[in-house]
Amino acid sequence: MLTIKNVSKNFGGLKALQDVNIHLEPNKIYGLIGPNGAGKTTLFNLITALLPVSGGAIQFLEKELTGLRPHEIARLGIARTYQNIRLFPSMTVLENVLVAQNIHTQSGVGSIFKVQRSDKKFLEEAEAMLKHMGLWPKRKEKSTSLAYGEQRRLEIARALALQPKLLLLDEPAAGMNEAESAELLERIQEIRNSGKTVFLIEHDMSVVMGICDYISVLNFGKLIAQGTPGEIQTNGAVIEAYLGREEG
Amino acid sequence: MSGYIEGVLALMGINILLALSVYAILMTDQCSVGNAGFMAIGAYTSAYLTVKMGLPLLPALVIGAALASLIGLLIGIPALRLKGLYLVIATLGFGEMVRTFFLNFEPTGGASGFRGPMGTTLFLIYAWVVGFIVVFWLLDRSRLGRSFDAVRDDPEAASTMGLDVIWHKVWAFGFGAFIAGIAGGLYAHYMFYIESGNFSFLLSTMILLYVLLGGMQTFWGAVIGAAIFSILPEVLRFIHEWRLSFYGAVLVAMMIFRPSGIITRQMVRDLGERLDKLFQTART
Amino acid sequence: MFFQQLINGLMLGSTYSLIAIGYTLVLGLLQMINLAHGDVFMVGAFLGLTFAYLGIPLYLSLILAMVGAGIMGILVERFCFRPLKKAHFLGPLVSTIAFGILLQNVGTQIWGSEPSRYPQTAEIAQFHLGPVVVSSIQIIILITSLALMAGLDMFIRRTRMGRAMRATSEGQVNASLLGVDPDRVISFTFFSSGALAGVAGVLTALVYLQITPFIGIRQGLIGIVAMVIGGLGNVRGAMIAGLLLGIIEVMNDAYFTAGYRDIIIFGIFFIFIVFKPEGLFGAFKKET
Repeated sequence: MLTIKNVSKNFGGLKALQDVNIHLEPNKIYGLIGPNGAGKTTLFNLITALLPVSGGAIQFLEKELTGLRPHEIARLGIARTYQNIRLFPSMTVLENVLVAQNIHTQSGVGSIFKVQRSDKKFLEEAEAMLKHMGLWPKRKEKSTSLAYGEQRRLEIARALALQPKLLLLDEPAAGMNEAESAELLERIQEIRNSGKTVFLIEHDMSVVMGICDYISVLNFGKLIAQGTPGEIQTNGAVIEAYLGREEG
Repeated sequence: MSGYIEGVLALMGINILLALSVYAILMTDQCSVGNAGFMAIGAYTSAYLTVKMGLPLLPALVIGAALASLIGLLIGIPALRLKGLYLVIATLGFGEMVRTFFLNFEPTGGASGFRGPMGTTLFLIYAWVVGFIVVFWLLDRSRLGRSFDAVRDDPEAASTMGLDVIWHKVWAFGFGAFIAGIAGGLYAHYMFYIESGNFSFLLSTMILLYVLLGGMQTFWGAVIGAAIFSILPEVLRFIHEWRLSFYGAVLVAMMIFRPSGIITRQMVRDLGERLDKLFQTART
Repeated sequence: MFFQQLINGLMLGSTYSLIAIGYTLVLGLLQMINLAHGDVFMVGAFLGLTFAYLGIPLYLSLILAMVGAGIMGILVERFCFRPLKKAHFLGPLVSTIAFGILLQNVGTQIWGSEPSRYPQTAEIAQFHLGPVVVSSIQIIILITSLALMAGLDMFIRRTRMGRAMRATSEGQVNASLLGVDPDRVISFTFFSSGALAGVAGVLTALVYLQITPFIGIRQGLIGIVAMVIGGLGNVRGAMIAGLLLGIIEVMNDAYFTAGYRDIIIFGIFFIFIVFKPEGLFGAFKKET
């Protein structure tokens, strides 16, 4: 459903990504790993059009993404979370999730006068989702006053509220303890089972190897390996990238 | 009601409108100190329409404000690439451009000003004030209001949540310019005589000051700020001449001790909840 | 005739340059605009006027006004910037406006809002260089301005404090790494900025021969225009842009209609800030 074709990204003289080719099929969990600075978040920024590509193309469900603006891509069905959690600080937990409403309904100027039936339905859906994530009791609190793990869950809930077909998660397990990571694994699998595709950047190998169907490995902006968890774990180039050249 | 008190209330109403015009743009994290320019466009256009072309007041007001709004939209587009301080400088330049334009524009009097527009009543001013307050109140409770909050908080995250940041930012300029244009038209038809010096950078600064002091987190802050600080000099006679310097000192103190201004979002939220509960118990 | 206007323009422009440099120094250092700067210029002008009435010779008057205005600059920093370091950027901005108005109010209290006349000094010599007539005052203005600008340029490049100012404004290095206290860099920047404005004030009073407490308003705005056109944060750019603006203004009055002068200037200003914020000569930073 998502095809990244020969994509490159340059920042002045710096080649952040070179000739990356990745293909995602629907209903699977994909991993994107690599040492720090390999270009993983940059790739997410290119998919969501926060940055323009320097070369190559990205297609989603047969549509060309390059040249579109971020909100158009979100409306096509791609949602994301951020490495450093970007919730809306002036809004409550519930309001953060309700922002997603705008995609599904008429939100022009006239909307301030109408209370549509879809509003109520959306509120119910938001309630269900927040309850499922265990955040409903805190719905009226400021989003930034939540505990770290709760904020991550909220960001994921907010992205899910867009009802995306593809969910990009940028280091969702960062800063989580074992129990939280295990719970996260379950949730990501639930998301996949509900018919969505997940593409996730992670450093926590137990998470990556545990749930990913297929993994792409970046190093210095280049794709050095792609395969199943088993294949990646025994791939020499990958081991070298992470651990440095083996002696002897 | 004495003529003096009526005058004070009239100017207070116009200041509230101007403060709301600044707030409308501030809603998207853009700061404009050029709203006196939009006010001038509304003032001169509506005055010309009523005095020289015989239009009734209300249509003239709306046309003047619509023209101001159009210019606002045009300004909003290049404003997109200017952040923070640079936008302030640009709007400063815009305001001065408009002022010097009208200083030289003969059809509306040029340096001698424009005489003749009249018809504004206290009722009319406050009808518009209440009207815009209702609009902002509805906006606050609506999806659109939430999307503006999101755009202000984090434009990139808002864009990946499906919100068209450019549309929101440009629209805010157009909306703010419209309100300022209405204020200008009402002002012109109240004062009977306008000249370019009325629409100076100083005025734009005062309005911004009202919003900063009243609280820039909610539209109530703009309303309360304008209401209090535009009539304070009438009450405290001794500061009348020195009011800007006095307000400057108040601003410094405010920024140190209560940077959000008098009215905060939390305050409005809490009050809103308490009122909701009150209505619920009243109903049962 | 043309060259005469050119000389006049350069003279006027050099005062604009001095003011513009002051804005640029503060912008480069703190990414803020000191909107009281124009009124510090006004204070310099009135200091010059007062000293002239006291019979103090011009060169001494310039030095004293520099110091006085420099101190005023430091006061602006103390009251408007230092307490609001953590505040939203609008706080210091609006505070400087209020401070400037305070200076205007005080000036009005002391000297009234009617124009104050510069005392009649010794006769002004006139020099004929070909088709051009240059008065001794114009020469003094040109030489003083150019000397100060050259001096500032050298200071920024050669001295430790100067390098610290530049490094801090280029954002590369914390001044303390160069062995200078960052607070002192800030104070010194505001002092220099005010001092230059003060000199510009004295020189302007010398030219126009009558001043009001409100001259800082327009001169201040023109200084901002020069700063923008020269390239936000670029001191040399501000110098050249100031001279250009002086020439444009004089040419406009001579060959076109004086009334449109400000529209043209603010129009150019608006076009630059929107389409070419890096100005003619580029800036250190394009975004805040």
